[in-house]
Amino acid sequence: MCNACGYPARAGHWTDAGLDSPHDRLRARFRRAEVLARVLRPLGLTAHDDGVTDGMVLSTLSGASVIVTDPAQIWATIERLAGRAYDPLAG
Amino acid sequence: MTDNRLPLIILGGWLGAGKTTWLRHQLHAGLQAHVIVNEAAGVAVDDALLSQAKGVTVLAGGCACCNGRDDLVAALRSLADRRSAGDAIPEIILETSGLADPAAIITSLADDPILVRHFRLTGTTVLVDAVNGAAELAAGTLAIQQIRAATALILTKTDAASPTAIARLAATLVVLNPLAILSAAVAGVAVPLPALNAAPMPLALTTRAVTAVTLPIPKGADWASLSLWLSALLHAHGDRLIRLKGVVQTPAGRLLIQTVRRTVQPPEMLPADLGTDDMLAVIGESPDAAALQASLARFLA
Repeated sequence: MCNACGYPARAGHWTDAGLDSPHDRLRARFRRAEVLARVLRPLGLTAHDDGVTDGMVLSTLSGASVIVTDPAQIWATIERLAGRAYDPLAG
Repeated sequence: MTDNRLPLIILGGWLGAGKTTWLRHQLHAGLQAHVIVNEAAGVAVDDALLSQAKGVTVLAGGCACCNGRDDLVAALRSLADRRSAGDAIPEIILETSGLADPAAIITSLADDPILVRHFRLTGTTVLVDAVNGAAELAAGTLAIQQIRAATALILTKTDAASPTAIARLAATLVVLNPLAILSAAVAGVAVPLPALNAAPMPLALTTRAVTAVTLPIPKGADWASLSLWLSALLHAHGDRLIRLKGVVQTPAGRLLIQTVRRTVQPPEMLPADLGTDDMLAVIGESPDAAALQASLARFLA
């Protein structure tokens, strides 16, 4: 957030739309981390959001971890950590 | 929160489809807009014809979807500055060059952190020449890309083509882009479409069949999971999903989501009684409704 103009420093990601109150935003962060942790388990990855740090922590089972602050980068980062492509349509 | 961004319409269509003619009539009929004319060639011709516009910006010598992209961004930023300084600009119409892919322009608009705050894309109107359109579609993929990116398709010069040819072309357009609103116009004046009772024309083999499926969004689906799923889907399959459109429930109210390939247009909040809820229309190269539904269910679980 820019102190002078009150605008966020970068344009919001489209997934931020529809979440006006801080409460809704926080809930959405926790929910996304929960869903990601579940769908990423077959890839050997886990996801965690502490609600305080800016970004989502993605970790491999061997301990490598990355904080993703840009929602647009999340799937590319997941594929890099997993070492393979992720297809949400594959069972 | 009121959306004060400046409405912007992209006007596309093949070379000679009648873009300037159509726009000229709309301006004559009272449309108040600043027009940006893009010409792929070095010499601008069309701006001379658009004297009734509130203002005209000419971008010549490069197509706004590729090598003229920076010029377009600069022109739009300067218009945004003028408006912020108090210049009354009611609306912007971007007349693309005949060789532009509107989807690429939509992406440039969405990717620019300044433009995304100043402009609201209200539609992509693509004109299709009723006389030559069929040949253009048969010849190449660019004309097809233009049609696929449209939210409204207007058949032009229908007075010069046979009703059978028009019906065939219209049926083809419906196959290529079932979501776009189809109408017809002669020299900019809306005319009724003839009966659409023809079979679509066979298209080049390089073009894969485009079909639309409607995906029901389960009751109580939460936006956080749904948006995560959409982002995964677009990341993995965005190049094969041509358009996605739907109204979903979010904590702040009803939200209109629209995408063109991998680009998501800034979502818009809708009033409580507009549009259909809990449906996602998916247009792409044979999207598999069952697989999409199962995949969404895994995210929503």
